[in-house]
Amino acid sequence: MKAIPHKRSREVEDWLRKEEVEQRKRYRKIVAEQEALSPKRDKWIAQFLQRIQTRGVHTHYDQMRKVRPEEIPVKPKRKFRVVF
Amino acid sequence: MARPHIEPFVDRDVPFRKMTLPGFPKGMQYKMLSLDTDDGACTMTVLFEPGYKQPPGMSYSEYELFIMSGSITIGEKVWGPGSYVFVPAGVAIEALSSPRGATGLIFYNYGEPSFVESDSDHKHAERNRLAMVNAYENMHWTSTNFFPATAPGCMVKVLRFDPRTHGFTFLYCMTPNFWQDNISYHDCCEEAYHIWGSSWMMQFGDLPTGGYFWRTPYINHGAFASKLGILGLGRTDTQLYNHFHFNPWTNIEENQERAASRLIHRNPELYKWVNSHGHNHPIDFEFDHGHAHGDMAHHHGDGVVEHKHKKKKRSRR
Repeated sequence: MKAIPHKRSREVEDWLRKEEVEQRKRYRKIVAEQEALSPKRDKWIAQFLQRIQTRGVHTHYDQMRKVRPEEIPVKPKRKFRVVF
Repeated sequence: MARPHIEPFVDRDVPFRKMTLPGFPKGMQYKMLSLDTDDGACTMTVLFEPGYKQPPGMSYSEYELFIMSGSITIGEKVWGPGSYVFVPAGVAIEALSSPRGATGLIFYNYGEPSFVESDSDHKHAERNRLAMVNAYENMHWTSTNFFPATAPGCMVKVLRFDPRTHGFTFLYCMTPNFWQDNISYHDCCEEAYHIWGSSWMMQFGDLPTGGYFWRTPYINHGAFASKLGILGLGRTDTQLYNHFHFNPWTNIEENQERAASRLIHRNPELYKWVNSHGHNHPIDFEFDHGHAHGDMAHHHGDGVVEHKHKKKKRSRR
């Protein structure tokens, strides 16, 4: 039994509504901040794609393999999102 | 599960607020980290003011409490930093107090925060699942026992493992100069809070002390690094499987598709069986309630997904 069925009071419903509004604000702020991080993220991705060709990509624990240049993915044209 | 993707969020940037929900005694404050808008389940940072006193009582939802600083007393026993308590729904715990104050994390997993004063358990309570441990003092760090595993230098202490869902709650650490060069996603929801230290992820940047995320399934995260190391608390709702890859631009649908495709290779017989007509209501002989014909979302293989039936009692032979 993960939760016991019960009736919510009006105070609880109000509290949940307020928290939901706050959460929506938090979410929007996160999306905006992550959008602003895009130029840095693009650099980090470029560095990562270099490293996995020279030092390798982790496959399991300390096991790594070097990625061949032809395996490197190409950035698609669609909008790139990190927050969903 | 209707919690949005909250990542990253740093709770040091927001003040504590007084807990005003009915039933809770005065002297408890909280910061909301994430909230399920359907069932009210949530994760919060909590502050027990010095002198906080709570009578014996229970919650309608199971909850988990982890003490980060200060201490609380439950009954006669004092629980300091690193203490973890798992309280199943309806289990009445003894009086709780915090003479000098404490901060912690609290997870209400399947319903909104609730407190009902009571010195006896609810009739549906499963007291045998109650668990309390001081993880700093009485548990050892182990390597992650997942396959494929995170890179060396990431270690865990498993605080609770749900044998049915394989969801688990764990302390984790990264050693100084930890790095893992791959991208990961999981089939489960995952959340974590940084008790101390900063780590970096290629998508989200730095996550400092007080940093938190609630990540819904199939979201790319990684590569990873931590210059000085971190200590964090993590939780998943079902099994954590590391789907590793190195394409930074895949989206949720592509990751999901890949995970399903990998399932065909990993569990071919099960995949075949579940997708055959009439096999969409698997019943677990170990569990009396919550089977697929009961309160769990399931489908009939007819395209109408995620519905529930009224709970039926299974007859015992």
